[in-house]
Amino acid sequence: MTIAKSRTLIPQKTRRAITAIVVSVILWEIGSRSLSWLGVAIPGISAVPPPSAVANAFLGVVVEKSYWYSWYLSTLRVLGGFLVAMLLGIPLGIMLAINRTFNGIVFPVFEVLRPIPPLAWVPLAIIFWPTQGLSIGFVTFLGAFFTIVINVLDGARSIDGRFYSAAQSMGASRWQVFRRVILPATIPSITVGAVVGMGITWEVVVAAEMISGSGSSMGRAGGGLGFFIWSSYLGGSYEQIIVGMISIGVAGYLCSSAVRMLSEASTPWLKRR
Amino acid sequence: MSGVVSPGGFREAAPAAVLAELAPFNSLSPEVRRKLAERARLDDFLPGQSILDVGQSAHTLCAVVEGAIDAEVPSKGPIPAIVVILGPGDFFGFECFLPHPSQRTSRARAMTNARILSLDGGDANAALMLAAPQTRAALAKEGTVSRRLLDALDNAQSAMSASGASVPKRRTATQNSMNKLGNALTSPRLYLALIGFAIFFSLWQLSVDTMRLPRFKELPTLVSVVKEWFSTNPDYGLSIFVGEYYRHILISLERVGLAFFLATGLGVPLGLSLGWSKRFREYVFPLFEILRPVPILAWVPLAIIMLPSDESAVIFLTFIAAFFATTLNTMLGVQSIDTSYIRAAYCLGATHAQVFRHVIVPGALPFIFTGLQIAVGIAWFSLVAAEMVSGQFGLGYVINTAYTKIQYPVIVIGMVTLGFVGYSSSALVRYVGRRLMAWRERELALNRVC
Repeated sequence: MTIAKSRTLIPQKTRRAITAIVVSVILWEIGSRSLSWLGVAIPGISAVPPPSAVANAFLGVVVEKSYWYSWYLSTLRVLGGFLVAMLLGIPLGIMLAINRTFNGIVFPVFEVLRPIPPLAWVPLAIIFWPTQGLSIGFVTFLGAFFTIVINVLDGARSIDGRFYSAAQSMGASRWQVFRRVILPATIPSITVGAVVGMGITWEVVVAAEMISGSGSSMGRAGGGLGFFIWSSYLGGSYEQIIVGMISIGVAGYLCSSAVRMLSEASTPWLKRR
Repeated sequence: MSGVVSPGGFREAAPAAVLAELAPFNSLSPEVRRKLAERARLDDFLPGQSILDVGQSAHTLCAVVEGAIDAEVPSKGPIPAIVVILGPGDFFGFECFLPHPSQRTSRARAMTNARILSLDGGDANAALMLAAPQTRAALAKEGTVSRRLLDALDNAQSAMSASGASVPKRRTATQNSMNKLGNALTSPRLYLALIGFAIFFSLWQLSVDTMRLPRFKELPTLVSVVKEWFSTNPDYGLSIFVGEYYRHILISLERVGLAFFLATGLGVPLGLSLGWSKRFREYVFPLFEILRPVPILAWVPLAIIMLPSDESAVIFLTFIAAFFATTLNTMLGVQSIDTSYIRAAYCLGATHAQVFRHVIVPGALPFIFTGLQIAVGIAWFSLVAAEMVSGQFGLGYVINTAYTKIQYPVIVIGMVTLGFVGYSSSALVRYVGRRLMAWRERELALNRVC
């Protein structure tokens, strides 16, 4: 019996995962159709469209050009905000770590601004930036920026002081200390910051699009995936809300995996342990 | 007449004579020094000889009289090892100041021929307390060596108060805070921070108001924000003198509080079970992982459809954000526990319930609190979004309506208030976490002492 079990192609873990997912999808279907099937509406779930209807709506949306344009717009904003946050955040974090005077002047202001949730910046961003795309991009940037700076700062601070002393006593110049000691030692925390920052970026972009977004010339779903969800809600096509949620989940997951893979590729020495 | 020469090549001497020349004890009265010398001893060590080692009982404070030694605090977890070379006049072995007769956490070896004075830890502590406060001031000026000694005493005291042991008062609270104030005024940090804020505010004022740069001139000016915020009769009806302002804060706090407690109440047990039972984890965790990448804000429309009122939708959104962070961290906390603890407990005959209560829960606690801290941050983050999209009252609502009504200064008031309230609630969670995990703090303090 045990031998037979171990010979099955799919490991137990995967089988359990599949069972759990299938069972919950079936429960969801029963729950949403409870009014017509059982005659009793289960509060909450009966308002949600059933998975079969969602799958149907998904097939309808996949062929639409505007759906893919939403993907494109959201991804563009996320990548734009994220890249700018990396480009500005990494040097700032390192500067804060290595220069005491700079740290003394800048860090308190930074710490006062940091607890303000990125979404609270949305109205000011809309007022300031000339286009909607730029203001959403700016809020996205803020979401990732603070996380990246803090991670880089912590990473550069936690370098063992003996490494500096050793490098200096062997005659390394300031640039060499930076290039050979500080930078490599900071890369692991940069990558941690990048992974976390990417997650926040997707959260922020969706919200920013919902709060500020409006359809573009491409029609109803032209304002990004967040706006796709919001307009589906306003338009009453509830199946599409779930299609949108799944799309964002997939998009966020893909981006995070990509960042994680890049991180692992850039810190090969961490894998050996 | 030359004295007797010891194996180390040093002249014979009595502890009392050494004490009379050793700072900070040389500033004590001869009477106190004599008492101290009664139980003190001098030892000579050869190069390489161990003076003290990790795990030995720690009841003496040691000072280098002659020669050089190297002391090492071994690395512990993430805390790297500390190695110092000590010379005449330096103290080591500060573990003796800890509340219960403890063990050495550092090791020390003679590098050259060395002569070491050992004082009874209790005696030394008492003598230094007797010396307070005038001598303390003198001691602080003596230089780094004495300051290290005083720091060690302070650290030991904070470790004692963290562990709940009674601490003999050495300084009054006012003295303490005056001291802190003095330190703050003499260090450059305060002035640098002031410069930083001055630059920030003047950039704001210059770009928005004075120079009216393109795009910047649309933003609210610094003066208008401050005027509105502190006005007894605000133009847009929101300032620190208006009850409405506090009502918004209170409602936001209420929502975050409710969501946070729900998330803790459900997330911690779920995370513990996910970490504890492999079968449960294999069934439930995949579902969790499918839902997790969906951004919280994408739940907004669904929450509005599913739940009876806007209010419950806002709380649901705030809750779900905090819930994922709490559950995941709790699960990781359980998985981080060294399995040998669990096996050891079972070997000693513990039941499942006992292992759960005495190994799993305390072992996961540090991670749980990290999770709760993250959860508070995320809760505020999503509360703002939820309040901006739907809902009445609350700080997110203030910001959004100020935007739509073109009352721009109110936007900044809302943002700053949010930042302040959010920061305070995180600090509160951090504080509670530290109090509940005093045992861990004490362990870290032990490492700092030496």
